[in-house]
Formats: sequence, structure tokens, C-alpha cells
Amino acid sequence: MNEMLEQVIKRNDTWRGRRDYFRAGGASANSNLHGAQGLPTGYSTLDAELRQRGWPTDGMVELLSDGCGMGAMGVFLPAMEQLSEQARWQTFIAPPYIPYAPLLAARGIDTGQILMVHPRSREDLLWATEQALRSTTCSAVFSWLGAQEYRYSELRRLQLAAADSDSLAVLFRPNQIQDHHTPASLRLQMCEYRKVRILKQRGGQQVIDVTLPPEEDSPQQPQLWELPQNPGAGQPAGAAEYRA
Amino acid sequence: MSLWLCLRFDQLPLQCLDRDERQPVVVLAAQRVICANDCASALGIQPGMASATVRALAADEPVRLLERDEQAEQSCMHQLCSWAYGITPSLCTWQEHCLQLEVGGCLSLFRGLQPLLAEITRGVSSKGFSMLQGLAPTPKAAWLLSFADKDSALAIDQALEERLAPLPLDHLAPVAQGIDSLRRAGLYTLGDVLALPPASLSRRCGKAFTDFLQQLLGQRDDLQVSFTPPASFTDAVWFGYEVKTCDELLPTVQQLLQSLCHFLRNTQLRTNEITWQLVGVDHTLLDLRVRSASSHSDWENWYQLSCIHFARLQLTNGVEGLNLECQDLQLGQQESIDLFSPRSQREPLAALLDRLRNRLGLQAIETVDCRDEHLPEFSVQVGNELTGSRSGPRNRSVQRPFWLMPQPVPLRQQGENLYWNGVLTLHYGPERIEDNWWRQAVSRDYYIAADAAGQQYWLFRDRLERRWYIHGVFA
Repeated sequence: MNEMLEQVIKRNDTWRGRRDYFRAGGASANSNLHGAQGLPTGYSTLDAELRQRGWPTDGMVELLSDGCGMGAMGVFLPAMEQLSEQARWQTFIAPPYIPYAPLLAARGIDTGQILMVHPRSREDLLWATEQALRSTTCSAVFSWLGAQEYRYSELRRLQLAAADSDSLAVLFRPNQIQDHHTPASLRLQMCEYRKVRILKQRGGQQVIDVTLPPEEDSPQQPQLWELPQNPGAGQPAGAAEYRA
Repeated sequence: MSLWLCLRFDQLPLQCLDRDERQPVVVLAAQRVICANDCASALGIQPGMASATVRALAADEPVRLLERDEQAEQSCMHQLCSWAYGITPSLCTWQEHCLQLEVGGCLSLFRGLQPLLAEITRGVSSKGFSMLQGLAPTPKAAWLLSFADKDSALAIDQALEERLAPLPLDHLAPVAQGIDSLRRAGLYTLGDVLALPPASLSRRCGKAFTDFLQQLLGQRDDLQVSFTPPASFTDAVWFGYEVKTCDELLPTVQQLLQSLCHFLRNTQLRTNEITWQLVGVDHTLLDLRVRSASSHSDWENWYQLSCIHFARLQLTNGVEGLNLECQDLQLGQQESIDLFSPRSQREPLAALLDRLRNRLGLQAIETVDCRDEHLPEFSVQVGNELTGSRSGPRNRSVQRPFWLMPQPVPLRQQGENLYWNGVLTLHYGPERIEDNWWRQAVSRDYYIAADAAGQQYWLFRDRLERRWYIHGVFA
């Protein structure tokens, strides 16, 4: 093989789409593609499709969704619960609203670790995200980039910072940037509640839909997904009377 | 064995005022020259001359005549004391502009005398002062030897009497009386005096003089009040030229912070606020205050925080000096990170908080907390203060959204439909929440609704106002 090409392929941030390349023993025993263990997502179906059998902590995750998230945070709740053991910050950068603390507490997440950062400008947002990733004091960094345009180089800075750190790095972005390139190691899309599509995965399968199984939701805990059985489901009892 | 090092800052009256070496500068006290820089000395100006003589000697050359500023001298001495406290704990000031350091006890710390002297020379010259050194077993001898030539001033392995012998008696004038009578008797050097029998010397010059000589030779105790470090820290660097960009300041910032943290470590103190003062070429002062959530004495941490401030600074005119001040010092515990943690955490948790707060402002960082309240908006507490870790009630199993809006937002209602980015349909409810009857009664029926795309929201109908609001988002 061409020597330069080989060097490019050896780089950790080069994305190779073909799964069978790795299955054929392309990665040597000491390469950093080998044996990297992800953070369990809490959903067996999702773990099975992710190359590291969980969320990658050596790169960033990009999650695309419309509107208000479509259950995007629910996907990360089990991971947040696990990360709370580490007693480090779980940073929310430019969150759309306030996380409902009693819900987090009920899920076993230490609310004292939640740090909300409200940057005033786009530059501050990128800076704060990078600082949080580089500081080694965060177990998770969630950043809402919003609908603005970001240069590839800006996102790549974040990816490099995420690759150096051992924190879970998640960027929330709108659906319309789906066609733009991303340096992220994993790009997901929330299609609807309980349905995740893997758009891009470094060294793994892509464009697969994953359904998060309902039976794996922790019992006796507030769930975000399904509506409970309600006698007045559909048209709540008395609602019409109020509107009148 | 005790070993004293005397640092004599003979040019201090001049160097604390002006360090210009391009033109003659002279410091006057009561119309007499007390200090002159090299340019002035080259013109023949010497200490003790009258100001008229200086003008005559300078002829056409412009000479700057400065009035002596004793306060500035004192604050310089104070800075030097603070700095020297990092070298040895027992030190005192002596006479005019002399520092006496007891260095015998810290030789092994600095791995020998030569590295110690090199460290001191480096420290003093970085502060822009010139000094003369004397090294002897007693403080008074060290002081006298600072007048000797450089070879014998530091030649500690020679006998003390031999080193003192060639020194003229004139140097004793400020500390001992009766020098004139000795001079009239034909005694000019210390060697002449030391050769006399002490008893007759005592009769001729008084007991005070012989006591002084005994202290000089270490035959009598010489007790001095030792310097105690001040309750606050100030240090300054004078560039002597104009600095135009902030980047050029950073090495100095680093240097000053190292000296601060040196001081903090020596005094076992911590601080959570430092103040930078930039002295402009036009003598304007610009203050920069840097705060930290936890008090610490780690200079790299302070450097990072200061860099955030300096990076945002727009210098309109050049900077000629940089001061660092730290008023509020507390005793503190060092916060440390878990040594055996399997993770790669390299700094305390507060470090990130500090950096974010210093750039984005105090209000931009918030924490959340649970409160035992029935109304959703009161059960979440958002604050800027750092709170400890806790776990809340874990027994709720009702439907709650992930995101709560800070304030319920009224929904647009048209006919039978509710609108929030499109028409909403109610799916689940109602769940009645009533509370706060003692202040302003609240009675709400909460529903879960979804829009056309399937996104679910948490709505309520205010039963008293008869209006619909959106309060949360299931995400």
C-alpha cells in the first residue's frame, strides 16, 4: 500500500467506513482501536450496534434532533446515572431549559454535579465546551450548539479535546446539518421517542435504526418515553369541559 | 554555626525612584547628594556634594535632580524582606538599606553556599536592584564586610579578624561613637583597633564601643528582632521600557505569580482573590481583579485565570510596570485530588468553575438542586452558589419531564386547539397539583400533550385563571 495512505489510515481520526476491515484483523493488538471499552448506554440493543459496546469516551458524540430533543436526554440518563459515581461535573453548556432536578435525583443522579453554563456568544460556547473537555474534571459534557453554522475546524478542535479526555462528550445539533461533514466519532439522530438512528460511526456499522427496548427501563422510576395506561387516554376526561 | 549574609543596597534611594541609565540622575536630601547613577558618577558627582556643585559639574548636560523619597525606599525594603523570607526565616533589616540574612540554617536546602548566593543574586537583579554582599559569622561583621572588596567579602574560610583588619574605621561612624578620638590617636583601620587590649579600649571609647566590637567578633550575643511577614502581599516589576501588548506581559505575570505563591507557601496561607495593577507610561493605573472559588496557592492555576483576563484586555497605551497585590489571605487547607482514582482527573473540581466564571461572569454558571416542594417550579432550585453533593428523594414514580421551563409560558388557544410550534393534542392527564394556598393559591391540572412530530410536552391548565400554560418538555 502507498506509504502515505497507510499513515493516513493509521491516524485515529481517520474514519473508515467498512466494518469488515476491522473484522479481518486489520487492527493490531496494540492499536488504540483494539479493546477500547465504551461506557454502557444502558440499552442492550444500542450497545450491540456501537463499536465500543457503549458510548465512546475517546471522541465526541453528535446527536441530531428536531425541536426539543425527542427524548434525546432520555438516551443519556442511564449513562449519567453511572457517571454520577465518579463525583465529577456533568456540565450542561447552553441548555435549552432547566433540567428538572427531582427527576434527576429520582434516577440516582447527583444533582450537585450538574453545572449549567450559559455562554453569551458563539465563541464563548465553543470556548466553554473546550475548557470543560480539557479540564479533566468533567465526567460528561453536554453542549447545545444550536442552529448556527460551525466551521469544520472549530468542531475538530472539540473532537480533539474530547479524544484527549475521558469524559462523555455530546453535542446536540439540529437535523438540518445532517449533510454537513462532522469530525465526531459517532453521529446519531433521534427519529422519535425510543428510536435512534446511527448515521455515522467510526469503524462501525452505520445507518441503522435502533429501538430502545421498553423492558430495559428501570422499573419504579419515572420514564420519559411511554404514556402510562390512563383511563382517559386519547381525550382526557373533562378536558373538553374545561375548554368550553 | 550561624552564618550571616548582609545585602547592602547602596543604590536604593536612586533605584526605588528611577532606573534610567541614559542620563545622569542624582538623588538629593537636604541639598546634598546621597546617591548618583553611573552617568552622574562619570561626571565626577559624588555623594555629599551640594546641589550647586552638581550643577557646576554637569555644566551643559541635563541632570535630573530627584528629592529623596523615604517612603518609597521603605516599601522597596519591605518587598525585599518578603522576598528574602522565602530564603531564610531569620532575617532583619539593619542600618539604612541593609538586609541581614541568617543563611547558616538553609545551606543544605539550597545545596551549598554557591547555589544560594546565585539564587540571591538572580532574585535581586530580577527586581532591578544592585547590591553589595558580605558574609560572616556575625551580622555586624557581615555588614562591615559588605564594604570590603568582593574577594574578601565572601571569603568565609579566612579568619574573621584578618578580613576585618584592612577596613577603615569610618564605616563604624553610624553605629559607634568615639571614632574621632581613635582617629586622633592615629588609628585608622579596624585592624589597628582590634590589636589594642580591650580593657584600655573600653576606658578610651566607652563600654558601648567594646560591646560593639565583641558583637562584631561573636564574643557577645547580638540579638535582633526578626522580620515577620506582612498580612498582605504586594510585589511589582518595573520594566523600564514601554510594553505594548499583553503577550509581552505574560512572562512577568508568571514571574510575579511565582513570587506570590512562594510567599503563600512560606507563610502557609491561601488566597482567593488577587489584583493586578498595570502602570501606564502616562502613570495611569489599571486594576484587574482575578477571583477564584477556592483559595489556593497554586501559581499555575492563578496564571491560567489571569491569562483569561489579560487575553481580553485592550491596551490603549503602553505599560511600564506591573504590580501584584493580594490583600485577603486566609489559612487554608490544600484541596487535593484523589491519588488512587482510576480516572485521569488532574485538577480539583473548582478549577474548571474558576475558569468559566472568570471569562463568562459569575451569573453565567448555575447549579441545580432539589427542594421538597409540591409545585414543580419551586422544587427546582437554581443558584450560582456551589453546593455539595446530595441525593434527593428517590421514591417518586410519576410522569415528569426532563426539561422544566423557568417560567410557565402561556399557550395560544384558538377554538378547541392549543398551539405551541404547531397544534397540540392532549394524551394523558389530568394530574392535579394544588399548593401555596397560604400565599397565592395555585390549582393546576397537568397534562401530557404531543405535537404533530410526536414531541411530548408537559402542559397545565390553571384552574383559577382558566388559561393554558406549557411548563416542561419530555426530552
